[in-house]
Amino acid sequence: MPRYRMMYAKEGPARYISHLDLLRAFERAVRRAGLPLAFTLGFNPHPKIAFAAPLGVGTAGEREFADLELTANMPPEEVAGALGRALPEGLRLIELRAVADQAGALMAAVDRATYRAEAILSRPVSAGEAERAVAAFLSMPQILVEKKGRRGEKKVRDIKPGILAMSARVNDDIIVVEAELKTGSSGNVRFEEVLDAFREKSRLPVEGRFSLYRTGVYAARGKEKKSLWHV
Amino acid sequence: MDVIEQILPEVQRPARYAGGEWNSVRKDWDGVDIKVAFAFPDAYEVGMSHLGLQILYWIVNGRPDALMERVFAPWPDMEEEMRSRGLPLFSLESRRPVRDFDILAFTLQYEMSFSNILNMLDLAGIPLMAEQRDEKFPLVIAGGPCAFNPEPLAGFIDLFVIGEGEEVINEFLDAFLEAKRRGLSRQGLLFEALKVPGVYVPSLYRVHYGEDGSVLKVAPAVEGVPERVTKRVVRDLNGAPFPLRPVVPFTEIVHDRAMVEVMRGCTRGCRFCQAGVLYRPVREKKCETVLEQAAGLVRNTGYGEISLTSLSTSDYTPVRRAVKALVDEYARQGVNVSLPSLRADNFSVELAKEVQRVRRSSLTFAPEAGTQRLRNVINKGVTGEDLLKTVSAAFREGWQAVKLYFMIGLPTETDEDLDGIAGLAGEVLALGRQAGVPAGRLRVTVSVSSFVPKAHTPFQWEPQAPLPALKQKQAYLSGKLKGRGLAFNYHDAGLSFIEAAFARGDRRLGAVLVNAFKLGCKFDGWSEHFSLSRWLEAFRRAGLNPEQYANRRYGYAEPLPWDHIDSGVSKEYLILEHRRAMAGLTTLDCRAGSCTGCGLCPALAAEPVYAEA
Repeated sequence: MPRYRMMYAKEGPARYISHLDLLRAFERAVRRAGLPLAFTLGFNPHPKIAFAAPLGVGTAGEREFADLELTANMPPEEVAGALGRALPEGLRLIELRAVADQAGALMAAVDRATYRAEAILSRPVSAGEAERAVAAFLSMPQILVEKKGRRGEKKVRDIKPGILAMSARVNDDIIVVEAELKTGSSGNVRFEEVLDAFREKSRLPVEGRFSLYRTGVYAARGKEKKSLWHV
Repeated sequence: MDVIEQILPEVQRPARYAGGEWNSVRKDWDGVDIKVAFAFPDAYEVGMSHLGLQILYWIVNGRPDALMERVFAPWPDMEEEMRSRGLPLFSLESRRPVRDFDILAFTLQYEMSFSNILNMLDLAGIPLMAEQRDEKFPLVIAGGPCAFNPEPLAGFIDLFVIGEGEEVINEFLDAFLEAKRRGLSRQGLLFEALKVPGVYVPSLYRVHYGEDGSVLKVAPAVEGVPERVTKRVVRDLNGAPFPLRPVVPFTEIVHDRAMVEVMRGCTRGCRFCQAGVLYRPVREKKCETVLEQAAGLVRNTGYGEISLTSLSTSDYTPVRRAVKALVDEYARQGVNVSLPSLRADNFSVELAKEVQRVRRSSLTFAPEAGTQRLRNVINKGVTGEDLLKTVSAAFREGWQAVKLYFMIGLPTETDEDLDGIAGLAGEVLALGRQAGVPAGRLRVTVSVSSFVPKAHTPFQWEPQAPLPALKQKQAYLSGKLKGRGLAFNYHDAGLSFIEAAFARGDRRLGAVLVNAFKLGCKFDGWSEHFSLSRWLEAFRRAGLNPEQYANRRYGYAEPLPWDHIDSGVSKEYLILEHRRAMAGLTTLDCRAGSCTGCGLCPALAAEPVYAEA
């Protein structure tokens, strides 16, 4: 069945919806758009919409990816036009293209993601101070975080290998932290864990909480990242 | 970064407060004359499942001179964040403080949400008592089924609307605008609103108490105020405004589907049922209207399910035609059709089979009582034989799970009736086995609630069984409903006890509500938040006894605190129905053509409306 890849943003009120709600939101939008959505067979048919990587509730996504299957061939421009008009506030279609039938699953290709976090500083911090804090953070031999296991037991894990890049800068009273993290089925690192550890170690005067943005999701090509758009 | 954006990531299910849903309406604040905040005193996912909210939202936002925005009770984690940061209760659409609106309108669906009303007023920075509010605060109004006994809330609400809101809301807004144009005071405005039939202004009435403290009457305190307020009824549902672009939530809600109301009211006459009286007379929509509205809803919402709603959808005359047309049209698009309330008869299984071509869930029936004798007392027109035939057919058709709803503590109930519940459940289970449902899949769920006497019903004079007796009945059933394939659950009896006190309460219960609010009562309909000891303390501090309201038999001749509210059904009829119940006599459905003499049609100059099959 014809498959289409969407590049979209999840922002504004839509950033607060869960992964399951996101699936429902797209399903409803596709139906409003009058597009012939494909469903799985069986007692509980599910819409054939597959996301690259789930996004945490509250984190905005600037360039997210999902594939959707229809039961009839339609020109991508037509699908994009109809779907774009049917999306609720905060879900914005950036681009849409047809994908070959034999293309692999998006989710399996995901290897890393880029992020941005913004927070208010309670006292002025110089650009140098922020940069040094990141350098010191990354120079630690290990970055250990505690995580609760499935049975409630505590697990300690080193997330450092999953931090592929990180930087910080200051805009007036706002600190902006950017990072590239390992994402997907192997060695997944959550941005929140990185920020919590960084906040604790760096002791920068961050006030309140960080606003989180995922700026991109990528596949790996050797040591480089490759856009999911062309996987 | 604003405060709300800082808070949202910290709380459970932030989508409850984020707004921005499909079809939500954001109007230019300064471009309209009148701003209404619609408040649902429960969580977002409960409130958004309520069709009444969508209807009123559609009507008010359809007026160029008005806007309506929504607000729900924040979950306690959100409330805590809001209070600690000094953030007042705000609307979802414009995120403005509720205090800035002209009107704050509550819907009263359930007595146990009253504590949330007080909490929401407080969180909004609005004085709880109507008499403490001046022109700078919104007018606080309320409607919905619990407005039919408005007395426990009389001190907090400026004005109640009794009955169906579709027409009265416009008349009221017009009156409000007129009062505003003339620069009337709050008091003047209330008098202006009184011109609208169905409006009850509690501050213009005085309660007269007898020497023993009983209520003698609730009567006008001022000249020009009607003795009785009669409910409003929409005569033709086909022409009535119906939301074809309802707000579609981002997050999953309780009833997450497109709702087409196929009829209003119910002709069955179950004697415990308040909705059956309040929504009389029955009015069916034409099948064509239903199909048109469903088409609009599917197009405008994208929902994967259409629900044909009413109090008893299998009674809707053209139900078969409507279901067939909808399934034929929408099954291909992966849109399911559902019927929320089925009768225990073969016709219902046929219908269920038809609608569940797409997805098959469990089937639910409500025999309500365990023996035929007691079913006759409550006038539940269904026999044990009907039920068994029906579930047997359902099992043969491939259903593996059946839910059965019962009530305990019904008038005249004995142990034999409780045994009957266990007996029926056992027989249903046996039928499942006979039909060859695999033992691992077969499931019979028995759900039991406690009888609560409600105003304007034939059982309004009946006592609720004392709390220890209710608990004993639950324990008794629990002992009998054990075994593979059986699941038994029951509602918190303490909660039903407090609900009963408020269902028949009078104006003095306002003091109990204030105490309960101060003691921290909120979300009392949720058993994880309900605390009986807090409520008992709230009653104690008010010098009142909940047993006096819940567990007492009221006399026919005794004035009732809601006598000044007219549901259209005569008291003589309710007495007659109560007497027939005690004699074990059933009363026929008025749909069958024989008028049962409830008095509503002549009193309200309204009549049942039936559609063509």
